[in-house]
Amino acid sequence: MPSMDDLTPGKRTEGYLGQRVQVLKASMFLTSRLFFADPQWVIPNIIAPFIFTLVAFELFDGQTSSGSFLLYLVLGSGLMGMWGTTIYASANSIGFDRWNGTMESTLAAPMPLSWIALGRVLFNTLQGVLTAVFILVIGIAWFRTGFTLVNPPAFFLASVSTFLSLSTFGLLMTTVLLLSRKGGFITNSMEIPVYIATGTMFPVILLPIVYLPFAFMLAPTWGIDAIRIAALPNYVGLPTTYWQDMAIMAVETLAYLALAFFLFKRVEAYAKKIGTLEEY
Amino acid sequence: MGGTLSYPHTDVGIPREPYQVLVLGSPSAESSEWAVSVKGLTREYTTRNFFGGVARSTWALSGVDFQVAVGELFGLIGPNGAGKTTTIKILTTLLTPTGGDATILGLDVRKDLYEIRRRIGIVFGGERGLYNRVSAVDNLRYFSDLYGVDSGVAKKRIPQLLEVVGLADRAQERVEKYSRGMKQRLHIAKALVHDPELIFLDEPTIGLDPAGARDIRNMVRELKAQGKTILLTTHYMFEAEELCQRVGVISKGKIVALDTPSDLKNMVRDISVIDLRTYGATMEYVEALRALPSVVRVVADLDSEEQSIRVQTPMGADLLPQVVAALPEGTKIIDRTIKEPTLEDAYLRLVEE
Ligand SMILES: Nc1ncnc2c1ncn2[C@@H]1O[C@H](COP(=O)(O)OP(=O)(O)OP(=O)(O)O)[C@@H](O)[C@H]1O
Ligand SMILES: [Mg+2]
Repeated sequence: MPSMDDLTPGKRTEGYLGQRVQVLKASMFLTSRLFFADPQWVIPNIIAPFIFTLVAFELFDGQTSSGSFLLYLVLGSGLMGMWGTTIYASANSIGFDRWNGTMESTLAAPMPLSWIALGRVLFNTLQGVLTAVFILVIGIAWFRTGFTLVNPPAFFLASVSTFLSLSTFGLLMTTVLLLSRKGGFITNSMEIPVYIATGTMFPVILLPIVYLPFAFMLAPTWGIDAIRIAALPNYVGLPTTYWQDMAIMAVETLAYLALAFFLFKRVEAYAKKIGTLEEY
Repeated sequence: MGGTLSYPHTDVGIPREPYQVLVLGSPSAESSEWAVSVKGLTREYTTRNFFGGVARSTWALSGVDFQVAVGELFGLIGPNGAGKTTTIKILTTLLTPTGGDATILGLDVRKDLYEIRRRIGIVFGGERGLYNRVSAVDNLRYFSDLYGVDSGVAKKRIPQLLEVVGLADRAQERVEKYSRGMKQRLHIAKALVHDPELIFLDEPTIGLDPAGARDIRNMVRELKAQGKTILLTTHYMFEAEELCQRVGVISKGKIVALDTPSDLKNMVRDISVIDLRTYGATMEYVEALRALPSVVRVVADLDSEEQSIRVQTPMGADLLPQVVAALPEGTKIIDRTIKEPTLEDAYLRLVEE
């Protein structure tokens, strides 16, 4: 057996940002490995959206003459899939470590938990986005209606920004779930109100007025509006312009990020106080 | 900080060579040069009831003091619930102490979290702590990145570590297919990815078969030979006796004795041990033995077909006639040996007091 004498001496990555990017990448990579290691991933990510989209199209079959209605439907179901996976996935990001028995090893690392969690959430959100893209592709293929986007670059920008915004929201959710005992309950009860509030299912403007403040506090509400402005002709949504949507989303996303990093500090302090987050 | 992890002592001005000439139990210079220094450490656990009030409070540690020299292999032994894991968790910055002070390599466990974490390795016993659905390589790569190991170094070091712990040929397999012993060896590799100076092992051989446990003990010896400081806990007295230079006995949250294994054994040199293998023995016989004058202590394992009974007495072989006379009907002695006391005998005396 080779001896420990022959080991290459350890050497640390230099630099504040370099170290954090390394953790982020490692966390994303591990999450992807774990994701594909469980063959069940096909069900929520491929099969369910596929069936869901087909049913939606069949339901509205008579009305599909309107091209923008079709696009609206495609965007709606795509975004819905994205939300669903984001919220579930954030709940499972660090929650996974909790039931897997790796919470302690994760907390023992010389790196803030927030960066590890961010890696997990980014991968999970990305995977949600891919689901949305997949739904779009099915929609187009099924109806063979190649639709045109009003402004493709703006659509792309809004989509990427909404993806990042969703990730930050997911990160924030992760802290809430770590700090609460009833994590699963919160995720499950959040999902539908969030779909409705952000205008995933139908335009926000149709919401009863009391829900509007809640909807406006969710950054993706603005992102979804921006996506629709960039995609649909004659779209009537929120009274804001594309760039106003983008600016509000940016501000809210940064606020989420700051709050999430702050709450992660609390999570770590709490974990140290009780000695574990593994089971409680 | 920064730079290499291989000679980190240069950062704090401690030379690497003199490890070997250290007089055990005393630091080379100031107190900051202890690898581990613990003073008056306490920890209270409170469990809250449904309404958020304190339902129960347990003092897991009630004033623990000890020091570990750089390069020393130190053991903590004690019965279940004595506070070993709690101590390790505090020293590895995973748990805040309620009171007292602890420094690791001169750094404060309350303040210098990340700096401490970069310089220590942790091995917890048991099945937990690995990603079972992915391979050993994936696990090591992940933890190596988490600890900020330079990726060029990691590329060389990870395969080397897998060789050292004897997992090289199964490195690409999912960890869930590993035996208990293989998982434990992977735990050791995981604790070493970032080349730590100080390694904590909490019951590293628990649940392993004799061969698996021996492998782990050999690795611990090798680490010691590398000049690493090691703090381990164990339930197995022979393990502590075999490995550790000094042993702290912890009982009910306090260190009740701290010395070299041979000096601890001196505490019980006035006694010798009669080791019996019996057939058909019950508690009745054990009680009869306990009732004999000059019997200090009787420890028995009655669960198997052949029982083992350990009788501590200052009389040694002279007690044998009485031991035989006390045999109830139907109980037979298969084998008997008179032995020198071991660390276990000293331990039993200490934790019973
Ligand atoms: N999270 C916790 N909440 C409440 N009490 C705890 C907690 N962890 C440990 N304790 C209590 O603290 C005491 C010390 O426990 P600890 O785990 O440190 O002992 P140990 O020496 O490691 O025991 P073992 O040999 O069984 O591993 C015990 O009484 C235990 O019940
Ligand atoms: Mg323990």
